[in-house]
Parts: sequence; structure tokens; C-alpha cells
Amino acid sequence: MRKHQPHIALEGKGLTLGYRRKNSRKEVLRNLDFQLFQGELTCLLGPNGVGKSTLIKAILGHVKPWAGEIRIDEELIQGQKPEQLAKRISVVLTDPVFPGNMTVGQLVALGRTPHTGWLGKLTSMDCEIVEKALSDTKTNAIRDERLSEISDGQRQKAMVARALAQDGQLIILDEPTAHLDLENRLEIMHLLRDIACRQGKSVLVVTHDLDIALETADRFWLMGRDRALISGLPEDLILSGQIDLLLPTEKYGFNLDRGKVEQKSTATKNWTIEADPSLRLWVEKALEKAGIAHLTQTAHIKREPFAIFYKEMEFNSLADFIDFLKN
Amino acid sequence: MRPYLFPIGLLVLGLSFLLNLGLGSVMIPFGEIASGIVSGDWSKNSWEQIILNYRLPKALVAVFAGVGLSVSGLQMQTFFRNPLAGPFVLGISSGAGLGVAVLILAGSAFGLVISGINSWAIATAGVLGAGLVLSGVSLVAWRVKDSMTLLIVGLMFGSAVSAVISVLSYFSGAEALKLFTVWSMGSLGALGWSQVGIVGLLILLGSIPVVGSIKSYNALLLGEVYAKSMGIHTSQMRWLMIVSTGILAGGITAFCGPIAFVGIAVPHLARIVWKSSDHRVLFPGSALIGAILLLLCDAAGQLPGMASTLPINAVTSLVGAPIVIALILKRNFSRDF
Repeated sequence: MRKHQPHIALEGKGLTLGYRRKNSRKEVLRNLDFQLFQGELTCLLGPNGVGKSTLIKAILGHVKPWAGEIRIDEELIQGQKPEQLAKRISVVLTDPVFPGNMTVGQLVALGRTPHTGWLGKLTSMDCEIVEKALSDTKTNAIRDERLSEISDGQRQKAMVARALAQDGQLIILDEPTAHLDLENRLEIMHLLRDIACRQGKSVLVVTHDLDIALETADRFWLMGRDRALISGLPEDLILSGQIDLLLPTEKYGFNLDRGKVEQKSTATKNWTIEADPSLRLWVEKALEKAGIAHLTQTAHIKREPFAIFYKEMEFNSLADFIDFLKN
Repeated sequence: MRPYLFPIGLLVLGLSFLLNLGLGSVMIPFGEIASGIVSGDWSKNSWEQIILNYRLPKALVAVFAGVGLSVSGLQMQTFFRNPLAGPFVLGISSGAGLGVAVLILAGSAFGLVISGINSWAIATAGVLGAGLVLSGVSLVAWRVKDSMTLLIVGLMFGSAVSAVISVLSYFSGAEALKLFTVWSMGSLGALGWSQVGIVGLLILLGSIPVVGSIKSYNALLLGEVYAKSMGIHTSQMRWLMIVSTGILAGGITAFCGPIAFVGIAVPHLARIVWKSSDHRVLFPGSALIGAILLLLCDAAGQLPGMASTLPINAVTSLVGAPIVIALILKRNFSRDF
């Protein structure tokens, strides 16, 4: 049992969401319960079409729940005006919608919109918050660059800075790293983790990037079709096998040894390979992909320089080895 | 942002205004005009008549129309997040055209005396027509949530209404057709002082919703979802936009006829001149450039030594089309948006 329960930033109870089209009602989510804790980075994972985006829209107040309630800091979201909600929740979306003439600094300053008067003039306090958002996201150096002149990764970091400048308790990101390269993905997710830990914000990220989510998230929310939302420590969900909820078909599964999702192999493997575990992993992977199910003798694999000894022959690469086995 | 460009722009506006007053079938020295307007003393009575009763109202209408169309165009481009949107994408000019067509073309078919149709009647018909089409679009806007759908619906309304005008033209007599064609070429000069006052008032009224939601337009640059998440009431803005454009573009079209291109091209010019996407800069900037452009286009249509003038709609399109083409060739529209 946990003794210390962290503060609940966002809570959903019995939430049912859906769309109404002329005469038909399409229910997307039924009777959903969830709790988002302060100071944590939570990753929401689930297959396409389970209603992640609908849930986000409901939290943002853009979609009215059919039943149930969402509370932010114990206050109902329904009935709050957009300008009130904007002071508590900010978003970052997938698509790079951006005006090219705007500079990064101006973009981040736009985050102050809910706090400023009708002309959007920044007070000295607003400027301080914008400065802090820029330095927290390390976008200081590009503050005067125009959005059309920077990379996708920098632009998305600037969007995170804008969300920070909006200064709500809760930041929601809908697949913020979908278009980005590996390094930018890692960097943005670690940045979000930092924001959650150091500034005590609650960060909710919708993502399909399991590897990086595992690396950074404090908590996972797993959503599957027609079932309750599962919330827990990522590692707990893996050890209990619940992570396989992300892969509804039988074809793929999470491999505990390798720490990643793989195709479940159906063929029985019949080989002995003598090697370090790390070498062994990649050799087996290559053999599986090549469709090789058994070796008649033991293969010895050596590192530095890489060499495979098999049937009194020596191979310097897996490609040569597989070529030999196939012929 | 280049704030120093505003005083320069105002100076250019003043010079364009003076140039516009000076050019025409009778050449009047610029010094004469300036001193005449300031002091009220004119060396020639005919000059006073020409300036005060004809050219001054015309120049003022050019300024008002330039301001109104540009401001309206800018808000449409931002609202629809579409660089090719303009004041007339919701079918307003077609609507005004329908009103005028019904008055002139159908009126003549029912025996209305064409010479009895004055500019007040035409303006009233234009306002009614624009209002009719706009309320049709509004009815749809009330049902659809997505701004892109609204844009398409507006364009469809426009082409349907244009088709009605074509049918009316097909069945009408030569004299009525000529009158309608002349109206559709646009004219800044046909208005008296009382009408100039009304146009000015309309521009003022139509600008109020724009000025009131300048901050919201900046937020809208990031798209509707981001704008909503920053506390902007996007559906309320849609109504403000429809009302404002109806008053600005509808009013101008009713009094001056359709004036093409200004509304589309000027906001882009303002973005390039001020290198900004901040509407606190772009709205006054577009207004300034729009006024200057229309004054110069009107002046270009009034070639000295010739009694006749080119229709303003033809001149703006002749000037506007190369500008738009040059812009497209020079840079990627949507990236600079």
C-alpha cells in the first residue's frame, strides 16, 4: 500500500463520451475512470480508434460528456468558461500548424493570451514567465528566428514553451513527437519529464512511442477497446502482462527479456549458440528473420573482431553466415 | 516588425491622396489643392467645384473602400487560415450583385424606368442582396462547426447566386444590361457627400468587431484548437467575423460595386512590408496599404488629358493580378502566412 497519495490534478468519474450524428449516437468511451497526479509525466497509450483524442477533447472542454464528470483540482470542467479553463490547461498538438512570419519569442508570448487584456499587451510579469518558458525549454537561442526557418523539432519545442508560458497546472500533449527524429523525440520527452518533476506540473502525453514512453513516463494509462482504463507504473504493467493490451491481435507481444515489442515466433527454434547474451540476441533475431529454424551444429560467436565459427568455418558477418546456411 | 514604417506609410497616404485629387480630366496643381483645402480660398471657382464636389468625395471613398476591403480580407484569411480567402468568399459581392441585378434587370423587364434608378436605389438593392446571401450563409454556419466547410459553402452560395445573375442578364434588354455591367465594373466616383458619410460610418461600424478581437486573431493563427485552448470563443468570433465582413464588404460593394483583388492582395503586402504576423500591426498596416493602393489605382484610371476613366474594378485587377502572381512566384504563400 502507498502511504503518501500525491495530489490528484485531474480526475474522471464514470465518463461516457461519444458523437451525435443526425439520428445515430456513436459511443466512443463508456464509464471511464481516471486520476492524473501532480508532478508526474503520464503517457496515454492505446491502439488507434479507442478514443484517446476524444478523451483529450473532453478534458479540454471541447466535447461535452454524455455522462460522468471530469474535475480539475476538484472543480468540474463542465460549466467552466474557456478563458478559465485556459488558465489551467494548455495543449501541444501533433500537426505543425504555424504562421511562418511569427518568431519563436512571439509564439511563446502568445501563450500568455488567457492572462492579458484585449490588446494582448504583456506586463513585466508576463515577460518574466515567457523568459522562463524559453530558458526552461532551451529555446532562448532561437527566440528571434521565424517559425518557417527552424526545424520541426525546434518548432515543437517552441510549442512546448508556449504551453509552459500559458502557465496552467496541466499540460496535455497529443502525439507531440510524431513527426520528429529519434533525438528530438528523446529530448522533448525528457524535457516534459523535467517539467513535471521540477515544476510540479501534471503532464499528460498521448503517444505511440512505447520505447521512449517506457524510458521517461512515471505512469502509463492504457486504453483498450471496450474496457476500463488501466493506470499504473509502466514496469508493473509490463510485468503483469497488461501492456499487451496495446497489441490486441495475437501476432505481436511484449518480450520481457528484450524489453520491446516483437512478433511472436511460432516456429520452434532448434539451435545452440554460444555467445554473450547481447550478441546472442542479435544473431537469433537475424536467423529468425531469415526463416532459419535449426542449426545442425553449435555456432560459436566471438566479439572484437566479430566472428562466427560454424562447421569449422569462419564468417565475418551475419549476412555471410545466413548466405551459407541458405545454400 | 517595423514600427517606423507607419509614419512613412501615413506620409505616402497623404501624397497619394493629393495625387489622386490632382489627376483627372482637368489637371489642378497640387499646391493649389493643398492650400485650397486648408484655407478655403481657391484661385478658380471651377477648381473648387471639381475638388469639393467630385474629387474629394471620390478620394475619401477610395480610402474608405481600401481600408474596409483590406481589413475584411485580412480577417477572412486569418479566420479561414487560407491565404487565398478574401472579403468575398462568403458570397457577399455576388449577393450585392444579385440585389442590383434584380433591381436593374428584372426591374426593366417589369417596366421600371431605368433612368429613374439612382445610386441610393442601387445601394439599397446591393445591401439587401448582400444581406440575403449572408443570412443564407449564416444559417449554414450555425449548423457546421468546421471553418473549412463554411468556406466551401460560401463559395458555393457565390456561384449559385452568380448563376441567377447570368439568367437575369440573359433575359434582359440592352440598356439595362449595360447599366448593370457598368455597375459591376465598380466606381468610386458616383457618390455624393451624404453617401460618403454613410460609407465612412459603415467602415467605422464594421471595424469595431475587428479591433475588439485583435488578440483573438493572433491566437487564431495557430488554428482553432489552439485558439480554443487559449480561451478564445471561436464560435463567437465566427459571428463577429460574419457581421463585420457583411458590413464592410457588403457596404462597399453596395455603394461602389464589386472591387476585386484589394481584399486578397493587400494583407499579403502588409505581411511582407511589416514582416510580421501580429494583427496589432497587420490590421492598421493593411488598412494603410489598402487605402494607398486604391487611391493610386483610381489615379491610374484617371489618365490626364483624357475625359474618360477606366473602371476601378478593371484597374485593381490589372494591378492586383500581377502582384498576386509575383507573390506566389517569390515565396511560398502558406509558409509566410
